[in-house]
Amino acid sequence: MATVFIPTPMRKFTQNKSRISLAAGTVAALFAELEQSCPGVSAQIYDAEGAIKRYINVFVNGKDIRNLAGVQTPVEDRDDVYIVPAMAGG
Amino acid sequence: MNSPAEHKELNELPPLSEFELQLYARQLTLPEFGLEAQQKLKAATVMISRVGGLGGTVAMLLARAGVGSLVLAHDGVIEHENLNRMHLAFREDLGKPRIEVFRETLLKINPDLRLVCEPENVTEANAARLVAQADIVVDGSPSFEERYAMNREAVRQNKPLVMAAMSSLEGYASTFLPGETPCLSCIYPEPPEYWTVLGFPVIATSSVLVATIAAMEVIKLVTGYGETLAGQLLYCDLSSNIFQRMQIERRHDCEVCGAAAQPA
Repeated sequence: MATVFIPTPMRKFTQNKSRISLAAGTVAALFAELEQSCPGVSAQIYDAEGAIKRYINVFVNGKDIRNLAGVQTPVEDRDDVYIVPAMAGG
Repeated sequence: MNSPAEHKELNELPPLSEFELQLYARQLTLPEFGLEAQQKLKAATVMISRVGGLGGTVAMLLARAGVGSLVLAHDGVIEHENLNRMHLAFREDLGKPRIEVFRETLLKINPDLRLVCEPENVTEANAARLVAQADIVVDGSPSFEERYAMNREAVRQNKPLVMAAMSSLEGYASTFLPGETPCLSCIYPEPPEYWTVLGFPVIATSSVLVATIAAMEVIKLVTGYGETLAGQLLYCDLSSNIFQRMQIERRHDCEVCGAAAQPA
């Protein structure tokens, strides 16, 4: 299983869980599986054109998927997937 | 680009008085730190955008560490909801202009501190002037508009920018070096549509945490001590005790620092 780390603004869709274990595959497959168990979360990640929102970065094992294979980036067992939206608070 | 640590030749650095040597005796013994690093801090000027829970903590830590000059920008007056996190303000300060309260507290910490206090937040109109006065810029603003204005000016003036931000119990920090690392617009070209300046939950623990990281980044940039977060985003979540470094890269189509950028 891979672990997806959920940012605070999306935790209302994940019963306030900050991390969720999902079957490995690709980032897109993980997010599709996440939507099955946590309806509504996909709309927080993807824009109307189906791309990752520009204020969200997704990292697999600390690497930005935009510099890998995007949402088709493979995700292995024990990989960590972080969803990190922009913040500005102080 | 050259870091401030590379700019200052040893013979240009200000000497430390006997009193200062006593003040900083404990940090002078940090491994690989020493007298020259302390002199570089004294010679440094750091601009901080907003001086609240995050930026105010950075200012406080840099004043304690012996940074010589700070340029501060923050508008408004001290309000009740500020006092859960703004270490430079107290209940007796309610209703007073923030920037004057911050100036007074910082001078209590370090009466030798040279301060430039702007009673306004960063805008497109004042960003160039504020950034021009500093060796390094620290961004602690809750406004993306202000953050993007600072980012553009830091890139245009080739100044390092230490970026730190938080929301709820999450936060992150990075160091942007123009021409070498991503800038803010590379990694976050747009703000979230849900973000509002007064809408994010904040408790002092998370703003102080990222402020501490940011202040240390400044000290590293000034002195050359240790490793900075250049090219990395340090993400943390105090609710689940996660600290994770992410690799970040420049975007060639970044409208601020990429090939698509308009010349100044």
